[in-house]
Amino acid sequence: MKETAEGRAAGAVAAAPSPYGDAELYDLVLGGYRDDLDFWLSAARSARGAALEIGCGTGRVLLHCLQAGVDMDGLDLHPSMLERLKRKAAELGLKPRVLLGDMRDFTMPRRYALVLIPCNGFVHNLTTGDQLKTLRVCREHLEPGGALVLHTFNPSFAEMARPDGERVLELEAPHPVTGLPIRLYDTRRKDRVNQLQFSVNEVEELDAQGNVLRVRRNETTMRWVYQAEMELLLEVAGFARWRIAGDFDGRPLGRDDNAMVVTAWRE
Amino acid sequence: MDALEKSHYVTPDLYDLVYSGYVEDLDFYVAAAKAARGAVLELGCGTGRVLLPTLQAGVDIDGVDVRPEMLEALKRKAAALGLKPRVYPGDMRDFTTPRRYALITIPFRAFMHNLTTEDQLKTLRVIREHLDSGGALVFNVFHPSFDRLAQGEGEPYLEKEFRHPGTGLPVRMFVTPHRDRVNQLLRCETEVQELDGAGRVAATHRYEFTLRWTYKAEMELLLHVAGWPRWRILGGFDGRTLEKDTDEMVVTAWKD
Repeated sequence: MKETAEGRAAGAVAAAPSPYGDAELYDLVLGGYRDDLDFWLSAARSARGAALEIGCGTGRVLLHCLQAGVDMDGLDLHPSMLERLKRKAAELGLKPRVLLGDMRDFTMPRRYALVLIPCNGFVHNLTTGDQLKTLRVCREHLEPGGALVLHTFNPSFAEMARPDGERVLELEAPHPVTGLPIRLYDTRRKDRVNQLQFSVNEVEELDAQGNVLRVRRNETTMRWVYQAEMELLLEVAGFARWRIAGDFDGRPLGRDDNAMVVTAWRE
Repeated sequence: MDALEKSHYVTPDLYDLVYSGYVEDLDFYVAAAKAARGAVLELGCGTGRVLLPTLQAGVDIDGVDVRPEMLEALKRKAAALGLKPRVYPGDMRDFTTPRRYALITIPFRAFMHNLTTEDQLKTLRVIREHLDSGGALVFNVFHPSFDRLAQGEGEPYLEKEFRHPGTGLPVRMFVTPHRDRVNQLLRCETEVQELDGAGRVAATHRYEFTLRWTYKAEMELLLHVAGWPRWRILGGFDGRTLEKDTDEMVVTAWKD
């Protein structure tokens, strides 16, 4: 791609804290998300070889798959996330091979039958140039016949038309230790032309009476991708064929789906 | 393009009734044609709304349109002006003209008649083949406005009201939009009402057409895949930066 598409954006990362700098908070909020675990385990089991998870974080998916006997490595950009992953792995008697690295430019010592990017990991690529770098380096890490599978959000019209600055209760879950409520609020702003979503996240920990005991804030920027755009990206990055589904059940992407599950084959 | 069978392009009189009053892009396309260092080709020239004023400005401009009826109307209008334009029937995805051009234009969102990625790429490739070295493609399409897309699915709205160019009586155009978010398609059921002096509907015309919208990053990927080495995407005919989703995407792409 031309320079303007390659360059920008990485520098747009906010000075405010990233949610990935606080691994304990990350687990507090997302540790309970299990909707995708069956899908990833099944994909890894049916792969004819080792798997690599990009953006493995604290191991929500990776440890689940390792425990089921799958040969899976991991890559993540954030040292604190990998430290926490390793501690959790040690408690389980596991020794995963995880590397610190950027999904746009990494090198693993082996090749894989499956590379997976779960849970919106791909939307951290904020430009076309970054998206292409990531897709290309993932493809290079695939064995012949291997596939890349990624899960990313795909905003509906209703989500796109939501006014900027609206504070939305994104999820409410029990604290994994105390059982007390945790609430995640997301205040979003969108750059509709550049497909960027800027989120201010607030994680509230409540007591039994519903009083807010603690609030932690962080910020994220994500770039969503459209279906036709994703197909062009895959083509430019050298993938030979692909399938884009609207959910883990494999149904074609439909008008009300808010996610894309992309499978792209190396050849 | 099968979708055109039911379309307004088969009846040039109706087309001219509804669209001949649109002049917002004329200065832009005439100026671009005058600045070109060689001949110009307009794709989707229709009945000559842009092509004839460009010819009158002294530019060497040819035209291509998929509808012979539209070209016949163009030729009649040209003859009345003492002009003899070179226009060819042809599909923008697969056309051949005898010469090459310094500039190829696709005004008035006609690129949006390419309803698939494959058609978009065919069009962009065949255009590039028809350019001289150093030549450029210029076209405009709308950037999707999400506030509009998210509202009024299947509900008619008044798109515009204007005076009949012949009689001066009011004409109303209603559009009922249907969107396919995943395939980026907008199908417009259109009803044009000609009113009489008392405000009663004297005649009604119905037609429909389908457009495919394109996002900015997607457009850049399309240009890249079709072999264009560089381009610029602006947000309006006035040269502003594309910032809002309600802006018009004005694309310039260079052959080399």
